[in-house]
Amino acid sequence: MSPIVAWLKHFSYFTAGLAVWGLFLAGAVIYLIAEWRIRVLALFAQYFFLALLFTRLFADRPELALLKMLVGWLICGALYFSARVRQDAVDGHSHFHWAADLPFRAFSLATFTLVAYLASQHYALPFIPENLALACFLLTVLALLFIGTDEDVVVVGVGVLNLLAALDMFYSSQDPGLLVTGLLVMLNLLVGLAVSYLAVVEVPE
Amino acid sequence: MTVPGPIFILGVPVVVAVGLQFLRRWTAVTAWLGAVTAGLIGAGVVFLPLTQPWQLGSLEIELGEPLLILGRKLSVQPVDRFALAFLFFTTAGLFVVAWRLLPHSNFFPIGLVTVSLLAGALLVEQVVYTALLVVMAAVLAVFPLHEPETMSGRAGTEEHGDGSRTSGGLRYMAYAVLALPGLMITQLLLDLFATFPNDQGLLSGAAVLMSLSFAILFGAVPFQSWLSNVAMNGSPPVVTFIFTVNLGTVWFMLLSYLQSYAWLERQVAFGPLLTALGLLMMITGGLLAASQQSLGRLVGYATLVDNGAMLLALSLERAEGIALASMLLLARPLSLSLMTLGLQGLRSVGGGDDSWEAVSGAAWRTPWRAVAFMVGGIALAGFPISLSFPARWGLYRLLAAKNLFWALLALGGSAGVMLGLVGVIRSLLTPPATGTRPRAVGPGVRAITVVEDRGVLLLIVVLILVSLILGLFPQQVGRVSLQMAEWYTFFQ
Repeated sequence: MSPIVAWLKHFSYFTAGLAVWGLFLAGAVIYLIAEWRIRVLALFAQYFFLALLFTRLFADRPELALLKMLVGWLICGALYFSARVRQDAVDGHSHFHWAADLPFRAFSLATFTLVAYLASQHYALPFIPENLALACFLLTVLALLFIGTDEDVVVVGVGVLNLLAALDMFYSSQDPGLLVTGLLVMLNLLVGLAVSYLAVVEVPE
Repeated sequence: MTVPGPIFILGVPVVVAVGLQFLRRWTAVTAWLGAVTAGLIGAGVVFLPLTQPWQLGSLEIELGEPLLILGRKLSVQPVDRFALAFLFFTTAGLFVVAWRLLPHSNFFPIGLVTVSLLAGALLVEQVVYTALLVVMAAVLAVFPLHEPETMSGRAGTEEHGDGSRTSGGLRYMAYAVLALPGLMITQLLLDLFATFPNDQGLLSGAAVLMSLSFAILFGAVPFQSWLSNVAMNGSPPVVTFIFTVNLGTVWFMLLSYLQSYAWLERQVAFGPLLTALGLLMMITGGLLAASQQSLGRLVGYATLVDNGAMLLALSLERAEGIALASMLLLARPLSLSLMTLGLQGLRSVGGGDDSWEAVSGAAWRTPWRAVAFMVGGIALAGFPISLSFPARWGLYRLLAAKNLFWALLALGGSAGVMLGLVGVIRSLLTPPATGTRPRAVGPGVRAITVVEDRGVLLLIVVLILVSLILGLFPQQVGRVSLQMAEWYTFFQ
């Protein structure tokens, strides 16, 4: 084993817990803050934490985790440009503001997080480390919140991407085959492109 | 050199699609080239022998020769030929329909890539890849569904409280991805069950996840919102593509699942589950169709009722049920194409809006579009004279033999669609007040009468004639459906 791979293995082992909650915090920022620049930045951070968690799954092939992070950042880039086009078309100004129905969102986020935490404690997912299982549950509840309670194209799209990330993490731990990984990467890219496309075309001319 | 059949079936559409992308400026060329490609592949699948090589220049193509990709096998089985032919012929037909409706559209290249992915889903053996390819095709279909050219003047949808102008594509994508975990984890559970055959919990888990995923993909209640949203604000020809080609693949995927895991059907309460789901879809779809006031939504809810009828036919747990469901699937492209042609024209008369109010009196301004929508709607509702009618009639008869009340409920669902259609017809036929100009609802309204494209008129007439002829003489289609049903042996 090369020293870099060995170091990565140790690093990911010690930082996995931190990465799980980093992942959740990034998701919470996307859900609670309506400023698109902060949202894209949070998604960027989320993909970094995801890559950290994936290094635990692909301990001997860290390049796969790197690939997933790069694809995620590519999607962030596409979403950044779409959001910018949309912003320019609407009013051209952008400022920090919380999501409109903040108390409801904060309450649902807290409830869903609790549900995810309890689910990870009571229903052990097979063949997957405990903190990665918690990450899967957290990503799934974030996805359900984004898809179910928001109408913004980018937020719903991020929900779809979060769901795919949860599935990717769970499935890679069961069957770390290259073909499934490759197809999931392609699906992520397609979803990212579709979301940024929809974000642009929905702007009235 | 022998080329495996899957390379020919999956590779040719992708190669042609790349070419079509560069030819988008010439709509007639892209539409007809796409249609001919899809039609030829469909014909190849039907007529070429499965086991003997076929010479094409220096290449030998053997349809039945499997293709191996990283150890995963793709092969054309006899049972796949019907499904593949349906996908490619329907795509070819829809390209011809879209020729005059979608100028410079990316529907033609993307449609070819989508149908290639869906064909791949049917040819690959492992369920995981099937699910992934179907979802990828769903995401890809979002691009032509909401093209800027076809969305101009569609702000009316927002005024009616239906969310953003792209909510159809967004919901379709989200629901397709929501169905993915269930399908992928089902495969894991079934693999585990093969190792631990005494663990019935694995089997129950697989059955629940599989049912949930297919319910989402079929738009079953309570997941029906994607169907109505797609129909409401999507480009009509692409909506038809999604409701026929994409949903058709999901249907064949379900049959393939049941064929591969026949014991699953015997161990879980499969029949009652499908009966309940099918009836719920038909009743809910019928009620919603009867109460809605938008033409697009009517298309969505009529499709929901049709999907319910197909699941109900499958719940009969006999080969005739599969044949009836296949006949309904075969009839759908015709009825939906007619509705599409009608809807596109009526929407432009309504300035992009398709509510009753906006299209009131439209039959006097664009009579052929109104006729196309009505005939297509009657066909999709399963009323005479249409190809769906004998299939629905057969379903009611078989269902009545099992339980008369269920048959009446199913008939009520179809009647709901018809009731919604009657409302549309009344609105379309509202006579314009003499001496008044049409209400200015948007940029699409320009004159009292709309000058129709002759190509579209010809298409409407041909489709109405084909629909009527097949409705009067459904025997041949019925025979094909029965032949197809014979390949699925899980009810025997």
